[in-house]
Amino acid sequence: MAETPQKSFHSPRKAHKPSPSTPIIPQTPQTVTPSRSSRQVSSPDPSDLRRSSRRSSLQFLEPEKRSSKATKYVKKGERSKLPVTPDVSEARKRKSPDEGNVVTRARVSRNAGLMRKKRVYYKKVVYDGGEFAVGDDVYVKRRENASSDDEELQVEELFETSAEGGSRRGLDMPVCEARKLGKEVVLPKPPKGKKRKRTAREKLLSSDLWTAHIENIWKEVDGTYWFRGRWYIIPEETAAGRQSHNLRRELYRTNDFADIEMESIIRLCYVMSPKEFTKANNEGDDIFLCEYEYDIHWHSFKRLAEIDNGEEGNEEADNDVDWDYGKDSGSDTEEDMEYEEENVNNLPSGPSPAHAVAANSWKGRIFGLKKIGTKKIPGHVRCHKQTELERAKATLLLATLPKSLPCRTKEMEEITAFIKGAICNDQCLGRCLYIHGVPGTGKTMSVLSVMRNLRSEVDAGSIKPYCFVDINGLKLASPENIYRVIYEALSGHRVGWKKALHLLNERFADESKIAKEEIRPCILLIDELDLLVTRNQSVLYNILDWPTKPHSKLIVIGIANTMDLPEKLLPRISSRMGIQRLCFGPYNYQQLQEIISSRLKGIDAFERQAIEFASRKVAAISGDARRALEICRRAAELADYHIKKLTSPPDSSSEDGTLPLFLASQTGLHFVEKYYPLVPKATVSSLDGSIFLCFPGKALVGMAEVEAAIQEMFQAPQIQVMKSSSKLSKIFLVAMVHELYQTGMAETTFEKLSVTVSCLCTSNGEKFPGWDTLLRVGCKLGECRIILCEAGAKHRLQKLQLNFPSDDVAFALKDDKELPWLAKYL
Amino acid sequence: MKGRENPAEDALILLRSRICNPNFVFTPFSDSPDSNYSKLKFIISSSVTEACNNSILLLGPRGSGKTAVLELVIRDLLAEHADMISVIRLNGLLHSDDNCAVKEIARQLCVEHQLLFSKMASFDDNSQFMIAMLRECGLAHKTIIFVLDEFDFFTQGKQRLLYSLLDAMQSVTSQAVVIGVSCRLDADQLLEKRVRSRFSHRKVLFLPPSKEDLQRLLEHIFSLPVDTSLPNDYAVEFNMKLHHILADERFKEIINTLLNSDSTVKHLLRFLFYAVCHMDLESGFLSLDNFRTAMSSIQRQPKMEYLQDCSILELYILVCMKRLEVKEQNSYNFNSVMKEYKGIHDAYQTSDYYARNVCLRAFEHLVQRELICFMDNRGNNQSIEFRAVKLLISSHELYQGLKSYRSCPVILRKLVDQ
Repeated sequence: MAETPQKSFHSPRKAHKPSPSTPIIPQTPQTVTPSRSSRQVSSPDPSDLRRSSRRSSLQFLEPEKRSSKATKYVKKGERSKLPVTPDVSEARKRKSPDEGNVVTRARVSRNAGLMRKKRVYYKKVVYDGGEFAVGDDVYVKRRENASSDDEELQVEELFETSAEGGSRRGLDMPVCEARKLGKEVVLPKPPKGKKRKRTAREKLLSSDLWTAHIENIWKEVDGTYWFRGRWYIIPEETAAGRQSHNLRRELYRTNDFADIEMESIIRLCYVMSPKEFTKANNEGDDIFLCEYEYDIHWHSFKRLAEIDNGEEGNEEADNDVDWDYGKDSGSDTEEDMEYEEENVNNLPSGPSPAHAVAANSWKGRIFGLKKIGTKKIPGHVRCHKQTELERAKATLLLATLPKSLPCRTKEMEEITAFIKGAICNDQCLGRCLYIHGVPGTGKTMSVLSVMRNLRSEVDAGSIKPYCFVDINGLKLASPENIYRVIYEALSGHRVGWKKALHLLNERFADESKIAKEEIRPCILLIDELDLLVTRNQSVLYNILDWPTKPHSKLIVIGIANTMDLPEKLLPRISSRMGIQRLCFGPYNYQQLQEIISSRLKGIDAFERQAIEFASRKVAAISGDARRALEICRRAAELADYHIKKLTSPPDSSSEDGTLPLFLASQTGLHFVEKYYPLVPKATVSSLDGSIFLCFPGKALVGMAEVEAAIQEMFQAPQIQVMKSSSKLSKIFLVAMVHELYQTGMAETTFEKLSVTVSCLCTSNGEKFPGWDTLLRVGCKLGECRIILCEAGAKHRLQKLQLNFPSDDVAFALKDDKELPWLAKYL
Repeated sequence: MKGRENPAEDALILLRSRICNPNFVFTPFSDSPDSNYSKLKFIISSSVTEACNNSILLLGPRGSGKTAVLELVIRDLLAEHADMISVIRLNGLLHSDDNCAVKEIARQLCVEHQLLFSKMASFDDNSQFMIAMLRECGLAHKTIIFVLDEFDFFTQGKQRLLYSLLDAMQSVTSQAVVIGVSCRLDADQLLEKRVRSRFSHRKVLFLPPSKEDLQRLLEHIFSLPVDTSLPNDYAVEFNMKLHHILADERFKEIINTLLNSDSTVKHLLRFLFYAVCHMDLESGFLSLDNFRTAMSSIQRQPKMEYLQDCSILELYILVCMKRLEVKEQNSYNFNSVMKEYKGIHDAYQTSDYYARNVCLRAFEHLVQRELICFMDNRGNNQSIEFRAVKLLISSHELYQGLKSYRSCPVILRKLVDQ
């Protein structure tokens, strides 16, 4: 069964490509993950017996898989209803592939033992005069009659119809494109009927060419060069079609992979993220924008993650590859391919039985996450032009990574020095660093940013590579789980925590183990360290003991809030941890101010005093930068709310920058002054009694909003609740205060209190409501925790106590309009 | 419409369904910019459209419409942004355990996105799944709204759930709102300091409606629509009569006494439901009497009513206990009560003297009605006679009860007067 696909494979290309004859083929790194293979085996696929059996065989017969994948190239051609012809002629024209010289060898070391005459993987290849590296984007020929396509690019040819087609496309550019990308040069339309060279970009956009992202490059046994490509597609090819907000040069990255011969590459192009795209200054023609990933099976879109293109990206790609084998492996005959397409079409309606793995279990996670995605990219995300206030809100978000981290340079230098000292030392003696500080003082962020800097240094080659494990104590189910997490991070295997502890002990503590030199130094960051304290503190002891072992090469950085955590622990632990410490003090107000203003740089939304006010307030209370940022964001939100809500009713006018304000109301003028103090050219004109104010759409966040935000954050709302509570509750509270003043005891019982209440009521002409009603009122207050009380079932024995200072009650009820006599008793 | 003979029945059904539908009740508050509805909607929709992660607390006494307004906002947002929002609902009473809460979140996320859910997954798996989903949904511009009802219960223990939720919201790609609903005003003080630092402290306070709002609410609920299946002239007349009632001083008096004890919307609605149920179907109109009856049925005094239902012997026991308390005998049990009872009987030669086992039955009955209770819960194996008891009603209540008790022996009143 394993051989059949080869034989049934009757596309002409097969003649050209020799089938590999070596029986034992090394597994490439990306297929080794054991979890994947077990899943593939276990997953039932009743729909196609052939496919499933082939799939299992695929794991052992690497080249066959490759070849079957290779048909992907052809398959795409077939999909466009074009016959496949061998491109032998083209190969002849080109230089011999042997001339491609190896610049860097990647992965060779890992496979060195098995790699004798097998595939050789490269990171960079000079091929046919161009230099191609893993991670580059290339144009790929689409049609089989490549020779003519080739000529097309060199010889100017009359392509009247299609050129027109291209320019027509240019006309129906989305509206927002011009706005968003003012810099995009619209090519001058050539006069009709003239000879015109169609650029690769135009061909791509009219789907005569493809682009792909190079994931791997390798040399086959027979000397041909291949690469594994990840397709990009143009908006027209997606299920949703071209959407109104799509940009002209927008592409989508797909999760569709193919093995492509290097012959079919035309040349490099550049697919960039939006950020790079706006910055790109080489105004070449081959620049594209890619913000979203398109899932070809679910027909859904997803933003590309911005940061994680490091090792995580690699891993992800590997998973994707495997996943595709599961789906695409049956596509080498034409019938199969049809089935395949059909199957793909069926997929969105429901998970196919092959995926019967629960999404929340560890094995099934990838499937589940694949499915998430929007069917259509919502327009407001792309087309909405942010106001200053909205931009301010966005940059003040805690989630936004600031470009720079002000005020923590000293600490960061210290951390860097510590880590470098620990790693670069030949001995690599393990060490511990304990970082403490109140929440929101940038502890974790500093360490992570140091690690980022170090990683770029590793990339540059100035320090040896190391591994970095980041653990948060509060996210562990139990303290012992940390062994498991560490071991999984280091080795990728999942084992129970006892086994993991054993293995880790072996790795870090066992001295007899050989080949210690190969182990990379390991940096272990444990956030919220105090959560790992168990009764006998064995977890902390184990972890902190490893670094002291001679060849462990382990560096532990612990982060916690309390300064004296080591002292609270057993002496044998504190002696291991407490030596090197770093304190992150609370920010003072200048630092907070700097943090906020550095984020708000270039956004004109805040008054300077407002920022200062917020930072002084926070510095006085906690020095927590998160709080300061949140206050400012809340203030911006409040200002935004006022503008949007108070002026939106006639919303037609918000477009042209005129906001009608109804100054007839008493708040109007004040409002204008408050929210638009720095409006230079505010013109006020009266129209049908309402006054319109025209200004360039600018609003500053002032003291009032910051004050309101601070109130909201730091004040319990009890005073407001007391003020607006029912009449009886007010009397009840006043009676409690009265009782407190008279007896001097904070605690009272319901019986005593109700006597006081009835006294108050009778002497002030109120009707006493009855004991049961009074009890209910008390319980209501207890629910809100304005008073603390026992359960209502205890009735007259119920103990009561005010939860807030009696001054709060006095302040809230002193000048109550409903019950003016209350003031007497306060 | 197939004509029911009496349009009043239709009207009654309509009114009842209105009162029971929180969405209907809270809609009149939604348009003004100062209302909680628009504040809340602004915050949540800014999360949906601008990807601002927020955490909000909805505070206010029970019955003030926190959940109702939230549901209204979520409904409207779901209508506006169809498949961009998924709502995860947790309740502190059910899911205060972190493990169980994370599992429930995973389950609801799976249901929401038509994924397969496994009960067997561990805490780690589920929380990783949750964080991965947050990330992926963020990448797909989808917002996840976490509604944590009875928020204060989530603050028990180590608060792992809140920590990991709020921490995940600090990552760049996630797009989520955490809404805590609680009647405890000090709910945010319960958060652990690390969690509190990550919480964004939006607070929306729900207060009882003002007088004007109340008037608007009453009109909104009661006025019948003119242009529907109901006969036009009936609806007009109904509305006119209603208008008279609402303007009546006596009606305002009733509403005021009602709101004196509890001014929340829920309390008002319960009262209105009573009133509507008393509507006279013959005439087909609401009258002031309906509201009066409703008032008397909503302001009941359970302890007083219990007293009215007591037998003479039970009253004797209560009075004896009261006398013991007056004598400042702090701890007493059935035997000491019996001694007192015998003393009274000897002193006054009352006609009501019952055997000890009858008295014991009466005593047990009083315990069941919670007019008296045992001092401690521990002595369950002790026999009832020897367990210390306490009187649960005050002497004033007892006095009141005896006064209004019709066939109360004179001697009892005298004894209490002393």
